Amino acid sequence: MVKRFLYSQKVAPYVFVVPFVLVFLVFWVYPLGSSALMSFQKVTLGQEAAWVGLDNYDKLMGDGIFLKAVINSAIYMILTLAILIPFPMLFAVLINHKFMWAREFFKSSFFFPALTSVVVAGTIFRLMFGEMEGSLINSVLGWFGIEPLKFLKGQVMGFIALIALATWRWTGVNMLYFLAGLKNIPDEYYEAASIDGASPFQRFARITMPLLKPTTIYVLTISIYAGLAMFIESMMLWNGNNSPKNIGLTIVGYLYRQGIEKNNLGYAAAVGIVLLVITMVINLTQLAFTGMFKKED
Amino acid sequence: MKSKGLVLLIILSMVTFLWGCGKSTPASGGETSVLDGGAGESATELSYWTFVELHGQHFEKMLEKWNEANPDRQIKLNVTVMPYDDMHNKLSIAVQTGVGAPDIADIELGKYPDFMQGTPQLESLNDVAEPYQGTVVQSQLDLYSKEGTLYGLSTHVGATVAFYNTEVLEEAGVDYKTIVTWEDFKQAGIQVYEKTGKTMGTADTSATWQSSMLLAQQGADFTDDAGNPQVNSEALVKGLSMLKDLQDNNVITTIAGGQPDTEEAYGEYNSGNFVSAFMPLWQMSRYTNYMKDLSGKIAIAPLPVMEEGMPRSYGGGGTATVVSKTAKDVQLAKEFIAYAKLSLDANIEIWNTLGFDPINMDVWDMKDVTHNEDNQFVQYFVNNPFDVLNEIKDEIQLIKSVSASPTINNVLCTVTLNEIFEDGKDVKQALEDAQAQIEQELK
Amino acid sequence: MRKGLPLRILLFLFFAVLCILILIPFYAVALASFKPGEDLIRYGLNLRLDWSVMSLDNFVYLFTGSHSYFVWFFNSLLLTVVQVVLTLLVSATVAYGFSAYEFRGKNALFVCVLLIMMVPFEILLLPLYTLTHNLGLMNSYSAIVLPGIASAATIFFFRQYLRGVPKEIIAAGRVDGAHEYAIYVRLILPIMKPSFAAMAILNGMNSWNNFLWPFMVLSDANKYTLPIGLKTLLTPYGNNYDLLIVGSFFSIIPIFLLFVAFQKYFIDGMTAGAVKG
Repeated sequence: MVKRFLYSQKVAPYVFVVPFVLVFLVFWVYPLGSSALMSFQKVTLGQEAAWVGLDNYDKLMGDGIFLKAVINSAIYMILTLAILIPFPMLFAVLINHKFMWAREFFKSSFFFPALTSVVVAGTIFRLMFGEMEGSLINSVLGWFGIEPLKFLKGQVMGFIALIALATWRWTGVNMLYFLAGLKNIPDEYYEAASIDGASPFQRFARITMPLLKPTTIYVLTISIYAGLAMFIESMMLWNGNNSPKNIGLTIVGYLYRQGIEKNNLGYAAAVGIVLLVITMVINLTQLAFTGMFKKED
Repeated sequence: MKSKGLVLLIILSMVTFLWGCGKSTPASGGETSVLDGGAGESATELSYWTFVELHGQHFEKMLEKWNEANPDRQIKLNVTVMPYDDMHNKLSIAVQTGVGAPDIADIELGKYPDFMQGTPQLESLNDVAEPYQGTVVQSQLDLYSKEGTLYGLSTHVGATVAFYNTEVLEEAGVDYKTIVTWEDFKQAGIQVYEKTGKTMGTADTSATWQSSMLLAQQGADFTDDAGNPQVNSEALVKGLSMLKDLQDNNVITTIAGGQPDTEEAYGEYNSGNFVSAFMPLWQMSRYTNYMKDLSGKIAIAPLPVMEEGMPRSYGGGGTATVVSKTAKDVQLAKEFIAYAKLSLDANIEIWNTLGFDPINMDVWDMKDVTHNEDNQFVQYFVNNPFDVLNEIKDEIQLIKSVSASPTINNVLCTVTLNEIFEDGKDVKQALEDAQAQIEQELK
Repeated sequence: MRKGLPLRILLFLFFAVLCILILIPFYAVALASFKPGEDLIRYGLNLRLDWSVMSLDNFVYLFTGSHSYFVWFFNSLLLTVVQVVLTLLVSATVAYGFSAYEFRGKNALFVCVLLIMMVPFEILLLPLYTLTHNLGLMNSYSAIVLPGIASAATIFFFRQYLRGVPKEIIAAGRVDGAHEYAIYVRLILPIMKPSFAAMAILNGMNSWNNFLWPFMVLSDANKYTLPIGLKTLLTPYGNNYDLLIVGSFFSIIPIFLLFVAFQKYFIDGMTAGAVKG
């Protein structure tokens, strides 16, 4: 009887999707709910939680360091978008050119940095951007007669190192996304355009760019997510979560500082909820603008 | 049907693996850092967390002695070394939740107040420390006590001294012994800079050794008697303004890493780019470990002072060894750490192995220990550190460690000192801002 | 006469320069792995080729020294394999449920799949941490594997892939009298094989490099994965640079070899989401 029931065509789909439902409920809905709840409480590990209403959010609004973290995350996201979308797209188009030599080799080497863990990559970059005269970047600057710079102590310099790390790791990956997108553009379009006498630039602007739109939207979506949620890169680059003057502090870094380092879980939860709202608003606006929702199925 | 069975089998075995791994001890596939110290089969295994690998070496020595002396209560020590921040974060969570804490752990003074909030979730050590009362410096016991209960055993006094690179000083024609006041230091530094182009000292941005030292000289502190922050005090403004003046005269500059006790700074010092450091005595071990090129060139001296007659040292830094409430064998762990930290043997070994100034000051007078020619620290330095220590013995001040201290430290080391020495922000203004920020965070 | 030779050379040079820039950090680490850690502390990570200080000492230490590197390495390997196998099986099953059937609540559920692809996992760190603690799963691998076992991105990819599989296969299976699960296991899973490779690579890469969550969950040094273990070497009080650099360098090698061998699948796996997104 039970077997009959379980094996019926009506029940089977639920059996198939039940692992997802369980994971979704246990590891997403429940934590999100408890996060929302915690954000209205004062929570300290090992002690009873106390209801404090909107206190955490109130405090958050006047918290200069949190504001700094939000600005840092936002700037990081914007800069990664500004660099990691146009350049990989351009590289993809160029590397796809029929006159390209050693295409596969270049594709692989561009992709290679993505294989390193952030821990390893961050450490390498921390050492490369060291302020000593002999550190890689400073020694290169030395060839041009530039005095050694203190990269990881200034806001602008620190961000240069941070963006360099992101660019190094993700250019190749994003380029591959765009290459995959290019594969889906039929050659006939270009041939037709050539016959019409379109210049290479016109072909890029009129055919390539519009037809790469789905890929661009995908890259944009994951980049927004990755930019706003960035933390480990900063943690590794400054070898800890306390960068000088908080120049490398991000939203998740602040969540970590309050929650893990200061055992102030309620406040940290409020930080998390604010991050969730920011991410959702940006991504849903972006998707609405780019017309993702209009596409059926 | 066969393939379905296979899939099920795989899933089942994976799940078993997962749950199994969650509960049981790990299958050891390689070397672990278990110190057995000659212990037999029946030894109790205790876990120990630290952020300084060298501390493990000291425990290793004491473990051998303990196991020899207590054949029926032998111990194996499972040592885990983690980076400073990570270890304290994990330990704090583990201790507060009562899950996953090691039996024994090291807690650094700067983080110690975090563990003292509310009812400390650590074992009282009063009973095991009792026999050693009177032999060790009382202030080092008070430092890690709360309301009369002792929770951590100190490692060293941490008397702050000056380290001078005599090779560079000779080249510049400066005799470090004549440096008594900061004014002397400034003149010497100007001379060094003009003659050699090298920098006399550091303007620390990521540690408060210098700030503490200057406060201690003036009999001041970061907090008032009630433990409230007062980083905008006149004393600190005066101290940091003096450092700023030194910086303006090319006597000191900021250093890679932000203070002498970082890996970047070791390199700078080893290359001779910086001539002096004002650090607690334990900096000696950093010299012997990481700055081997300077062997035979470094002299130790009392700190310069603002005015002659001011105290010339303060106890800087410190690590307390604690026993968690969830320890496997609380009594054994307590007795062992008391033996490994407070006994006379331990204090002698703390000097021999670690190069720290032990809290049992009797050791300071044991010439055969302190002037032992085979000792690597004695060999490395130009003069004997204990000659200096005994000279300043009665001048060693203490900076209070209270619940506001971690926040004060964090604000000064990440923001304020950087603003002053990297960006040239006005000292008074920077400290006012710091005070406001600290008050906001403590709310 | 070769058409467009100048353009060829220009293109090649352009990418060659970029390529060198990208490979410099690897070269610097490779170089540093032959130098003593002291040299690194003193002179920084640089490109100086100084034969007098270079030796195989660090590699000798890596393979013969007393440290936990290979414990971590083995843990990472084990965890990666377990995580990949479980995630693929579970996610494929869920994806099949979504693609082969019409059932009540299907669309709502699938929206959930899409939504969690957009929620930063980092937000959940603290509640997940307390949950894990309450379930008694701290310091266990289950706590690392379970939350990701029904991976939204993987489900999404498999579902896209399954849309290309003709429904007739399922119908034919039913006609033959096979029950629902047998159809999935015997008829569908074999067809899905090619898509498994790409997803195995993608999940494997994520798992091998996974850091923050395992870092929070694991406290026993014998259970550390490679990234966590390497991070513990980053302390000024350990003189660990000998091992850190050579260890970092060595950690890239297995992934590099896998990459060279299965390059196509890597690229397919990485771009899987973008193509039909």
